[in-house]
Amino acid sequence: MAASNDDIRGLIYRSCLHLDAERFADYIALCADDFRYCITAYSPDLRKDMVWLDLNRTELATLLENVPNHVRLPGKLIRQASVYTIEPNGGATVATTTALIVTYTEPDGTSRVYAVGRYHDRIDVGGAAPLLKSRDVRLETRDLGPGSHVPM
Amino acid sequence: MSRTEAEWSQRPRLAPREYVSTQIYTDPDIFARERERIHRAVWKFACHESELASVNDFRTFDHAGTPLVVVRGPDGVIRTFVNSCSHRGALVVREAAGNAAHWTCLFHHWMYDISGACTAIPRDQAYAESGVCKAESGLRAVRTAVRLGMVFVNLDDTAPAFDDYVGDAFEQLEPVMGAEPLEVIQLYRNVVNANWKLLQEVQMELYHENLHFVNRQVAMGAPGYFARKWKIYPNAHGTLEPMQQKYEVIAGWEQRAEKTLPGLKPGEFRIVDLFPDTCIIVRTTVMRIDTMVPFGPDKTLLESRGLGIKGESAADRALRTKHHNQYWGPFGRNYAEDVIAPEAVHRAIKEGGTPYGLFARHEDERGQDDVLVRSFYAEWGRRMGVAASDPKARAVRAAE
Repeated sequence: MAASNDDIRGLIYRSCLHLDAERFADYIALCADDFRYCITAYSPDLRKDMVWLDLNRTELATLLENVPNHVRLPGKLIRQASVYTIEPNGGATVATTTALIVTYTEPDGTSRVYAVGRYHDRIDVGGAAPLLKSRDVRLETRDLGPGSHVPM
Repeated sequence: MSRTEAEWSQRPRLAPREYVSTQIYTDPDIFARERERIHRAVWKFACHESELASVNDFRTFDHAGTPLVVVRGPDGVIRTFVNSCSHRGALVVREAAGNAAHWTCLFHHWMYDISGACTAIPRDQAYAESGVCKAESGLRAVRTAVRLGMVFVNLDDTAPAFDDYVGDAFEQLEPVMGAEPLEVIQLYRNVVNANWKLLQEVQMELYHENLHFVNRQVAMGAPGYFARKWKIYPNAHGTLEPMQQKYEVIAGWEQRAEKTLPGLKPGEFRIVDLFPDTCIIVRTTVMRIDTMVPFGPDKTLLESRGLGIKGESAADRALRTKHHNQYWGPFGRNYAEDVIAPEAVHRAIKEGGTPYGLFARHEDERGQDDVLVRSFYAEWGRRMGVAASDPKARAVRAAE
């Protein structure tokens, strides 16, 4: 049965919830076997795009598995996503554009905007449940502090 | 055993060269003095030549509180000017980068060409009485040097020549950066809540490498890690003996035997620290140039540039970018910790934390010896006229 737009939105929102809660195995379970994950940003200094991360499913899973081994910022990242568009993308695939705002809350309770950007996803809707085939996180924010061991 | 307040506050029972007062990281007067005696007096890494690839390409940046613009002229020469209009001081060039044969100040439309000459003053007849004229209104030129593709500037017209300042400190970089043109493939700019010296220290001592999940395995587990000797050059620049690291111990990572940068063995690591605030790290297939722009005693812009080979294939570039991102950039596995740790120091010391920082490790100037940091603060003290161990002392004495 083809996925509905609600199913597709649900996939995207669940991906955010899983990363927020650092349920990394659940996040990976939302990804197709040939999943590709990228984080890119345009540098006005270099006048060209930069690729900050470009991983396949296995590489991303390994990266996420090792996150607890790192010394990290003590606060919490929360993702706010709004799915803007869902468009056919050929075959059993749709392309989506989602606005993304990530906030960071310090242990003392102060919050700030951490990153702003968009998810550009391709989603396989031909199976029992929709799966992410690719995600290009296009960030507008280029100062992410020390950075994050958990992708956006 | 814990210490009383008196015990904790007293000077360490160490030679003065083996510790610093943490006031050097927090005191605004010291910061102001550093700006005049160090940052405005030494050669400063500005950008890489690849950021000015074409004639008329320019880049803007701030250095020691002064806005600068660097540009490649029609003759191919890279020049630098103070980016401030001769009329009322407005920023002439407001973009981070671009290409222009001339610049027009937004305020009153005074114009400059990329040799720094003032080429137009609107309605200049009103200056006839006072004598203000284009000929005497050019932008201030700033000394510029280019070595191995790296562009350096110096605000002090009387400072020693660049080659005298650097000496042989780039000897490990000559084969790597001198064989083929390189270009910047990544630029990460991060305003850090810490003093600039805390960030530079992280690049000058290896004792902190237990902090890094990746380095514990890739570097510390590799043969020869602790045996590498530090080499200190005049002006407190420093390098470490190269070693081959084992990237393949990290699940999913390659050995880095292919597409090595010129002159390097598989897995080879090199590091060059340039006084006061530049560090160049080479990780076999990709390299990084770090430089800092201190905004205040507690705030520093850290710029990290990743470099690859200019004109390489898309496949080679993708591999190099992947290797860069494994370590560096905002999602690299090693970058964050090198910022989190200095910020943790700054957060504690800014309002009453430990009064002294210790650099008292001695290991025959190898491995985790603090010799380069001690040399750094000796040079710092010489330029500042006070010892880093006692920066508020009235006596003018160079640190040991």
